[in-house]
Amino acid sequence: MLENLFVGIAQWLRALLGGVGVPVEINEAIVMLVKLVAILVFILINALWLVYMERKVAAYMQARIGPNRVGPKGLLQTTADIGKLISKEIIIPKKADIAVFLISPVLIFVPTLMVFAVIPFGKNMAAIDMNIGVFYLLAIASLSTMIFWMGGWASNSKYSLIGAMRVVAQMVSYELPLVLGLLGVIMIVGSMNMSDIIAAQEHTWFIFTQPVAFLIYFAAAVAETNRCPFDLVEGESEIIAGPYTEYGGMAFAMYFLAEYANIMVICAMATIMFFGGWHAPFGLTFIPSWVWFFLKMYALIFIVMQLRWTYPRIRVDQLMGFSWKVLVPLALANIFITGIGMKIYQAMGW
Amino acid sequence: MLRTQEYFLNFGPQHPSTHGVFQIILTLDGERIVKGEPVCGYLHRGIEKLAEARTYTQVIPYTDRMDYLAAMLQNLGYVQAVEKLMGIEVPERAEYLRVISGELSRIASHLIGIGVNALDIGAFTGFLLCFREREKIMDLLEELTGSRMTLSYARIGGVADDAPEGWLDRLKKLMDEMPGYIEEYQGLITGNEIFQARTKFIGILSPETAINYSLSGPTLRGSGVNYDLRKARPYGVYDRFDFEVPLGENGDCFDRFLCRMLEMEQSVRIIQQAVEQIKEVDGPVIGKVPKVLKPPKGEVYHEIESSKGIIGYYVVSDGSNKPYRVHVRRPSFINLGYLDEMVRGYLLADVVAILSSIDIVLGEVDC
Amino acid sequence: MFGKGLIKGLQITWKEFWAPKLTVQYPDEQHTVPERFHGRFVLDVDKCIACGLCANACPNKVISIEKQKVGKKQYMTGYKMKIQYCLFCGLCVESCNKDALHFSKDFNMNQYFYRDIPLVLVEREAPAEPLEEEEPAAKAGDKEKPKPKPKAKAEKPAEPAAQTEVAAGKASDKEGQ
Repeated sequence: MLENLFVGIAQWLRALLGGVGVPVEINEAIVMLVKLVAILVFILINALWLVYMERKVAAYMQARIGPNRVGPKGLLQTTADIGKLISKEIIIPKKADIAVFLISPVLIFVPTLMVFAVIPFGKNMAAIDMNIGVFYLLAIASLSTMIFWMGGWASNSKYSLIGAMRVVAQMVSYELPLVLGLLGVIMIVGSMNMSDIIAAQEHTWFIFTQPVAFLIYFAAAVAETNRCPFDLVEGESEIIAGPYTEYGGMAFAMYFLAEYANIMVICAMATIMFFGGWHAPFGLTFIPSWVWFFLKMYALIFIVMQLRWTYPRIRVDQLMGFSWKVLVPLALANIFITGIGMKIYQAMGW
Repeated sequence: MLRTQEYFLNFGPQHPSTHGVFQIILTLDGERIVKGEPVCGYLHRGIEKLAEARTYTQVIPYTDRMDYLAAMLQNLGYVQAVEKLMGIEVPERAEYLRVISGELSRIASHLIGIGVNALDIGAFTGFLLCFREREKIMDLLEELTGSRMTLSYARIGGVADDAPEGWLDRLKKLMDEMPGYIEEYQGLITGNEIFQARTKFIGILSPETAINYSLSGPTLRGSGVNYDLRKARPYGVYDRFDFEVPLGENGDCFDRFLCRMLEMEQSVRIIQQAVEQIKEVDGPVIGKVPKVLKPPKGEVYHEIESSKGIIGYYVVSDGSNKPYRVHVRRPSFINLGYLDEMVRGYLLADVVAILSSIDIVLGEVDC
Repeated sequence: MFGKGLIKGLQITWKEFWAPKLTVQYPDEQHTVPERFHGRFVLDVDKCIACGLCANACPNKVISIEKQKVGKKQYMTGYKMKIQYCLFCGLCVESCNKDALHFSKDFNMNQYFYRDIPLVLVEREAPAEPLEEEEPAAKAGDKEKPKPKPKAKAEKPAEPAAQTEVAAGKASDKEGQ
């Protein structure tokens, strides 16, 4: 019952609409709409929760307690913060490009939302089971570079401009190891469909067969989301907040929440590609598959947060050097070895 | 042909990592620094001028407000200068209490120094863990003096009050724990490869330039110049303690950082020895001082090793009960003198690392 | 080995994650305030002889003492501190020969209005004539509302010092000073 909770809801809705005589096409469209709205609500609530989690994790690592006043255990702290930010004025700098300045915080959520459509959160729980899911995800996720750049450029501030330049440099150079890292997994599976990739990990997770690929992917993905130690884009002690320096109120909050939504994307992706997606480890199948998915995802998110609160920030030239001199050659070597391994595997006829 | 252009960037005064209201007008070529012009004075309160309208004792609270992170050392420099001028004997117990509170102040200041250095480079947790121990030191100082930061503990001829009951035991307990905490920072900050990559061979200061620019404190010793006033020209009872002067090798940001870290260990050692020695010393904590201080006509210059460097007090007396002139050689201000040449050619992110490795306090820079 | 420091760092933060927390949740729980804490001033009016040493010791001229001659003796009618300029250095407390001025542990000196900030430790009217004989009479706590009646009965408010300020503050409001 619990296993098929969400699938059951979808079927029930479909049956309900069919029962009152809604044509099949409209019926499907409504179900799809409900799915997308559900994902939207899920992401936004999750982003709020992640902000809270980050603050708690940070506090606990720093001998503090963290937010604990608003709501039970401070759970409503971010909700209250968002309420405050909504009520604030969005200050537009005098010389800003107003149209671009205002549209970029609106657009920042679009790539993230589009990406979530293909992520399978449990057994049969992808909103759209696309046969090129991984490709789609990577292609859409890299769009956010443009939006950061728009925001930074339109602010017409030097700090924002430096931040925006760093975004472009960082994201473009980390796209490459990200893709190359995932390529090892895709070679083994032979499909870019996420459900196929998860199905292929029923017995062995790819973290064990492709550990190097995971490390490359994880480093590149953390850099993609501008998280510490690669948070040069924000770099609060150097360029204050990078592209968001001039933003205030909800416009800033949109960027802020998008960061957390992006963390969720990369961690969901890592779960799918390397940690067996919704497969239960050790045969613990009585726990529903989507619970397993979220457990793995949140464990990875915790690691991302711990990295942020442990490491200093690296410098811009070191960042580029790390990508081009370490990650890319490693990823290429990984692909090469994976290819050889696969050939041997086939030749042995196992 | 693409035409490139240099541009200005106002780094501060409202900037999270200028340690207050300090401004550097940077000329940038992309992210590379062409020139950095420090602008100070945003926190000028005219302490030197204020001192001219105060009696000798009344100047003490104002010295707190310069380097408020190591207030005791500022007090100490001033009172020792006046004592030198008047030839006042200080009771031995007071000397020990001065050393203890001074070294506690130094540890507190260095904790902020290394914590902020880590924070500027991006390690937030290191910063707050340093604050955790600083809090304990502040609690101890509060028990001793009644204030947490602006202590005003030293008096001309001694200190304000004797240590309260059981204070020395609590101090000893904290000092025994301190090496463990320092090891934690070493693991979290010093040992971190990213931190090393960010600070090693950045902002290199050669020993010759450091001497030529009259730099002092860990900034100087990071370049390998063995000059610590506590060793070179011991004042007070510093000649009775056994401690080392940590030195750097390359004179880069990392060495300056490490010098502070190791100096804390030495300060802990000094306090431990002082706690042992003070037990055998009894007596008053303030010497025989006339009610109204009227030093003879003349002038005096006295310098001590503060946490930021050598702090010197130049006091001129005209025979009245108020100083004719008080001038302070503030180490933070003088250490900043080389900033421009130090940041040239490095990246924007390095400016932050270099500035925080000098460890300035704006209250002292602007006085 | 490269990466050792990185792993060490993660270990430390992981250990700290489970370590006890040091936050003191302020209004609910409070730090113990040490004996020597530099808090709000209290003045033992009985001991004070209005000599003015404290006012002279203050680096910032915070303290103002008002005196009135009653008979042969000086009678203190006002002891006010412009506490917003106070450095809390403790020189005034130290200078007091009669042990009349003290620090209390009360650090909560914030006020809603600027005019309430000055700390009024004593504000009273001088008696019309010197009356030395009745001294132990001034022990009662019925001085909550000081009646401005300069009658022959000597009014010698020996209120608990903490309340003095409040009471005096009210009184000054009423009088419209």
